[in-house]
Amino acid sequence: MNTPHAAESRPITPDLTLPKLLLETAQRYGDGKVAMREKEFGIWRPITWRRYRDEVRHLAVGFAALGLRAGDKVALIGHNRPELLWAEMAALAVGGVVVWLYQDALLDEVQYVVDHSDARFLIGEGQQEVDKGLAVKARCPKLERIIWDDPKGLRGYDDPALMSLAEVRRLGQEADAEDPGAFARTVARGRGDDVALLFYTSGTTAKPKGALLTHTNMLKMGQNLMAVDPCGERDDFVSFLPFSWIGEQMMSVSCGLQAGFTLNFPEDPETVQHDIREIGPQVLFSPPRIYEQMVRTVQVKVLDAPALKRRVYGWARKVGDEVAERAFAKKPIPGGLRLKYRLADLLVFRKLRDHLGLARIRHAYSGGAALGPDHLRFFHGIGVNLKQIYGQTEIAGISVVHRDGDVKFDTSGLPIPETEIRISAEGEILSRSPCVFKGYYKMPEETARTLNDGWLHSGDIGFLDGEGHLVVFDRRKDVMTLADGSRFSPQFIETRLKFSPYIKDAWVIGHQRNAVTAVVCIDAGVVGKWAEEHHIPYTSYPELSQKGEVRALVAQAVGHVNQGLPAAARIQRFVNLHKEFDADDEELTRTRKLRRAFLEERYRDVVAGLYSGSGDIELDTTVTYEDGRVSHSKTTLSAVDAPGA
Amino acid sequence: MTYRSSGVYHQTYAASHAWWQTNFVRAKMALLVLFVATLPLYANLYVISVANIVLYTMLSALGVQLLTGYCGQITLGHAAFIAVGAYVTAMGVLFWGLPYPLAALLGCLLAGLWSVVFGLPSARIKGFYQIMTTMAAQFITVDFIITHYVSRVGGREHYFSLPPGTITIGGWPVDSEVKVYYLAAVLTFVCFAALANLLRTKVGRAWIAIRDNDIAAEAMGVNVVAYKLLAFFAAGVLAGVAGAVWIPSLYFVSPEHFQLSWSVWIVGVILIGGVGSLHGVAFGAIFVTVILELLKLAVIPLAEFYPALTERFLYLKEAAFGLAIVLFLLYEPRGLAYRWQQLKNYFNLWPYAY
Repeated sequence: MNTPHAAESRPITPDLTLPKLLLETAQRYGDGKVAMREKEFGIWRPITWRRYRDEVRHLAVGFAALGLRAGDKVALIGHNRPELLWAEMAALAVGGVVVWLYQDALLDEVQYVVDHSDARFLIGEGQQEVDKGLAVKARCPKLERIIWDDPKGLRGYDDPALMSLAEVRRLGQEADAEDPGAFARTVARGRGDDVALLFYTSGTTAKPKGALLTHTNMLKMGQNLMAVDPCGERDDFVSFLPFSWIGEQMMSVSCGLQAGFTLNFPEDPETVQHDIREIGPQVLFSPPRIYEQMVRTVQVKVLDAPALKRRVYGWARKVGDEVAERAFAKKPIPGGLRLKYRLADLLVFRKLRDHLGLARIRHAYSGGAALGPDHLRFFHGIGVNLKQIYGQTEIAGISVVHRDGDVKFDTSGLPIPETEIRISAEGEILSRSPCVFKGYYKMPEETARTLNDGWLHSGDIGFLDGEGHLVVFDRRKDVMTLADGSRFSPQFIETRLKFSPYIKDAWVIGHQRNAVTAVVCIDAGVVGKWAEEHHIPYTSYPELSQKGEVRALVAQAVGHVNQGLPAAARIQRFVNLHKEFDADDEELTRTRKLRRAFLEERYRDVVAGLYSGSGDIELDTTVTYEDGRVSHSKTTLSAVDAPGA
Repeated sequence: MTYRSSGVYHQTYAASHAWWQTNFVRAKMALLVLFVATLPLYANLYVISVANIVLYTMLSALGVQLLTGYCGQITLGHAAFIAVGAYVTAMGVLFWGLPYPLAALLGCLLAGLWSVVFGLPSARIKGFYQIMTTMAAQFITVDFIITHYVSRVGGREHYFSLPPGTITIGGWPVDSEVKVYYLAAVLTFVCFAALANLLRTKVGRAWIAIRDNDIAAEAMGVNVVAYKLLAFFAAGVLAGVAGAVWIPSLYFVSPEHFQLSWSVWIVGVILIGGVGSLHGVAFGAIFVTVILELLKLAVIPLAEFYPALTERFLYLKEAAFGLAIVLFLLYEPRGLAYRWQQLKNYFNLWPYAY
């Protein structure tokens, strides 16, 4: 594996800010190196460091001309585009604080964040974002301007608050020509402990809280991560996850500026998988669902392959899993197995990595939620160096990561430099580092509860194993206890269930009850195709999910998972839900974590049905559509006794 | 679209349209060039003479592929234009004192123009009727004009002899199989490259539009007649190149070399290789030539027991060719090039099926 040629590490001085680092990096590379590429009309259009700097410069001066001052909040919403990243850096250059919103956030969420953060400017990608902005403007008195980038569909809009990003740029160019030194002076005023980002954490329980992160927090985080796994200036990184996720900010902004690698923006959200494959990044940092999706893709495509290919794949996977298991256990790999692995790599894994776009991957990280052991074994088996990361927004992203060659599937690894991890008397994970945030915006009690003497209280339960690896259970509230006192981790069971290509989501229940049960969302695409091949007619997702054959198919997968579980934690009964979990229905957070309390409330009847022992569950449900419409329907679900319980 | 492995991406359209994008492909092509360039070092004369036939077949079929495979104009008279190229080149060298390259150039040009003359009816007719007019080109050119008039020029009776040393390129006499081989290899490469690029231009796209549906093409603003005639001209020029390459290898030119059977033969080559594919031209030419040689090798030992085989070999050859075309049309109607593509897909998609 090639080690990257790292740019000389820049010490993080107290007065260094992200915009200052941008100026330094742009100075170093000028037009000689590509800072970012955007795929448009089939080719990756390059943007050099110098152009990046100049765009930021013009926008920053433009924002200042519009009255943006240090400490003002700027809300941003949209897909990953260079223009929005420029706008972010420009706002930071003026000393502003950037608040990112999820592109698919509903009106209420947008309104809450814009209002709570006191944002003066809202910068959106196009018409959809402008519409959201206009809709919430009346209820957000501090919002002054809505700035858009893509003019498509905006011709008839004449609200005085609207302005195009091109107009801001023009203003900036004029002001910059009048006073060319202004930009440098503004940037120089920034300090490391100025707040840079205001992150609204996707609360699985309560209203979102806004975490304040400083420039130093962000810079230190990138530096310390890259002290473990250096990134090189010639690396490619694909920026496809929402900027409102801390992990994406960490890679695209902090690591990107420090290492000087190239960001690549996909053409369209639908083409992400294809675009990743085309770029073949060296580094990838995603939540588990991306990896789960990759595994599902492989499994499904192999199921459709002819017998010879399937058999070769099956053999290679067995060899790969064995090697991965031995590597996890740090056991030596005998020569015969090594030879077999070479062959398997040549025959299958090399090609598989190429299909997945992981051909050139050096480090792949999974963070934000737990990744199942089966998934981790799969990736190590096919030769992808996938590592778990543990951290939270409040510590600027990450605090613990696996080291190369020291990956264990039940741990998250060792703390990164300058980071201390401690377990409190109650078993809660506490961490301390230069990356710990300043506090929650306008929530002093919450801040006091979370920050104690520089220690960040995570709310997660865990322990350090013999080698100092951090083992994270679940959120404290999510480690469950059955009525008879035996404990189990629902997330662990859920991730194992999701290794089946037929299961897209799973929700495991059992807290304070006498048995473990599960609610399963089948994968519409995969199960639908399976049904077609087996000549099972169906018209809709609800109907498909309740077909006897489909229930048997899922039962088989559940039974398989049960085999690997301790007797008390085995799933006794399960039911296929009539719909997929959806963030728009508040069943999931925007980062696709289950909101258990809400689910428990919403699917009270289903839970009751699972524990009542009756076969059929009558259900009266409401569905919220993306435009806010609500509809009611009646459904009957069939509960199934799980095999192997 | 061509298959690209992960990590191959482009910042400009020029790069994304480049022929050879990865080192793997570049290495493959370098190996091919190396193989072609060094073949005479280790192959015997027999192999070289077979290679020459393969190259001549490729050059001959290239024009047919352009006309039929890319522009949809079926032709059964292509040998006529090869003949024009061969005769004009020979006459240029023998009677007008032109250096061979200049004579060949003149031959190509006249072959192209002559082809346009017989392309004119295509403005009005197509399909079956057009096949008849291209066959007319065959009979008028070879059986009438060349046999009865041109062959008598210079009083050499039915063929022009070109003794070794007659044909020189800048003082370098093309007087052996190996030299002809190099000449043919270079010209084949140039013609393939030229046609491959031509097909990606506005002209090439217009031809393909006409092939797919001439009425739709006209509706979209393609000047159908002009582009058809241009296709005839380009095909004629390619035929001229084939003719010019052919003459140094035999030391004489005779109308017998350009009969209707050769016109049919090269149409068969693209049917077997794959209509509408440049790979198809190469695969088809190699396939029919090599199969024929293998057949010969099989006949020689058998002839001891069945002497009649040697006499009837000519018919056997035609029969085998006919059988091959029938079998291909039945079982591999899209030709060897398609099978090649399928084979590549099989490994590119491995271990998936799609």
